[in-house]
Amino acid sequence: MSGLQARVALRRGNFELEVSLHLPPRGITALLGPSGSGKSSVLRMLAGLDRPHAGHITQGDTIWYDQQKKIFLPPQQRRIGMVFQDYALFSHLSVADNVGYGLPRTGRRAHVEQWLKRLHLDKHAEHYPTQLSGGQRQRVALARALATDPDMLLLDEPFSAIDVSLRQNLRYQLKTLVADTNCPVVIVSHHLEDALLLADQVGVMIDGHILQFGATQDVFMRPNCRHVAQVLGWHNFLPVRSIAGHTVSGAWGELFMNNEADVATAWIGIRPEHLRIATAEQAGVAATVMAIHQLGAIRAVQCGLKDGTQVEMHTPWDAPVPVAGSAVRLHLPLAYARALPNCVLPGMEHARQKAQAEQQRVHSSRSGSR
Amino acid sequence: MDAAAVWVTLKLASITVLLLLLFGLPLAWWLAHTRSRLKVPMEAVTALPLVLPPTVLGFYLLIMLGAHGPFGKMWISLTGHPLSFSFTGLVIASCLYSLPFVVQPLQAAFEKLDQHALEAAWTLGASHLRAFFTVVVPQARRGLLTAIVLGFAHTVGEFGVVLMVGGNIPGQTQVLSIAIYEHVEVLEYGAAHKLSAVLLLFSFVVLFIVYGLNRRWHGGLRV
Repeated sequence: MSGLQARVALRRGNFELEVSLHLPPRGITALLGPSGSGKSSVLRMLAGLDRPHAGHITQGDTIWYDQQKKIFLPPQQRRIGMVFQDYALFSHLSVADNVGYGLPRTGRRAHVEQWLKRLHLDKHAEHYPTQLSGGQRQRVALARALATDPDMLLLDEPFSAIDVSLRQNLRYQLKTLVADTNCPVVIVSHHLEDALLLADQVGVMIDGHILQFGATQDVFMRPNCRHVAQVLGWHNFLPVRSIAGHTVSGAWGELFMNNEADVATAWIGIRPEHLRIATAEQAGVAATVMAIHQLGAIRAVQCGLKDGTQVEMHTPWDAPVPVAGSAVRLHLPLAYARALPNCVLPGMEHARQKAQAEQQRVHSSRSGSR
Repeated sequence: MDAAAVWVTLKLASITVLLLLLFGLPLAWWLAHTRSRLKVPMEAVTALPLVLPPTVLGFYLLIMLGAHGPFGKMWISLTGHPLSFSFTGLVIASCLYSLPFVVQPLQAAFEKLDQHALEAAWTLGASHLRAFFTVVVPQARRGLLTAIVLGFAHTVGEFGVVLMVGGNIPGQTQVLSIAIYEHVEVLEYGAAHKLSAVLLLFSFVVLFIVYGLNRRWHGGLRV
């Protein structure tokens, strides 16, 4: 089995989506992105619920979709398990009947019992979905999808219908459950924790395109451009005006980097938890403390730089912090500060070229009339 | 004579409801899901029998189905029998007359349907037909029941259209409501009383069952 190979394109009004995916035969892949970035559309196209306008999808040795060969397998023939955002349980069927829906009649009961036991639902076999808690419903949806032994498991925002306080536990449960699954798993989410905890690899999706794809830790530590970093929880971006060797500078001051900064560098990005107040011997960027918010175990300190850029620093809840209004120097540890270019969206590039061509046309027609 | 009228009425209502389900289900599904520009005009046409006086509908149908009308002519050349003042003509008229009472509850039920549940059934390997009967029908059963009962009861109660298109042929096109009318005209109040009581009782029992089932489905099974 060679896993999943897909390239799909979709147009809907002004929205253009174009995504390539190569997934290994097992392991969890997370698609992260803001709402409206098209990640759920990708999932629906993989499931066969939506039809791409162009491209191909091959899972293992089976062609699911090929525009040129005019092949389109409907969802019924793709052998997928899908967990919908709202779980989409059959409200008129009991938990056992929900789990057994996709199974052949022979051996159904034993198989259902096995799955109910595995997901600790045996006590609820005769209950109806409305009698269950959010977490139990999610387990029913998972059992229903996994019971058919699918070739691919698709999860659409699996935790969005669940109380924040319960999510972490359910993530652990899902991780152990899915670890035994012998098929590629794709999970769509806009929660970073889902990807960090569950995924082996992450794709960051913005505006219909995957801008970065790679091993989870790698992507989280080394985003390749500003918007990707933003999606991954990098809140702080210092605008860069000039680069000279190792030194990047802006109206906020300057920073000496470990490596020579790339000429495309437009921002210095740093996660809030990596910002520190500089000690006397450390280099630092001048800032003023503007506000301090207590966020449970951490404290968010908002600071303003010389040029007006606002940054946020997360410190342990009991770490001493200067009061609001005081002047501080902020330390950006070089291991964590990252030089970032602006993102180039294929769509944006296309628009830029079109604008340029348009400008040239106008220009040449003007000079022609002269 | 009255037993014949009851039989004609029941036969007419049953056939009408069956035919309306056959055509109404796809039509209601289409109306509930389409983004076509034709949706609004189709909705308006479907609702027409609600507001048109039965005599107007009956008049146009008589012209269409009559021996010189386009459908009537075609029918005669196909079967040798006229459509007007026949049971078949009556069925066609009843289908049009009761159309909104079947289509509208179905459309409302389909619009409320959990689309994801249907898609989940597909991803679990269910064919469109199986998904329809195991997911759509159970979820839309209140709408389905309402459609069947309203369509049936409304056909049983029709008068104006039947009189225009079907006439008053005992055993063929004479339905209950017309039999009652005739009894009253010739001052046979006793017979009119009996038939009216039958209709009244029938209507009450039907509605009682519908409301009872709706209540049970709402509470007991937690839909």
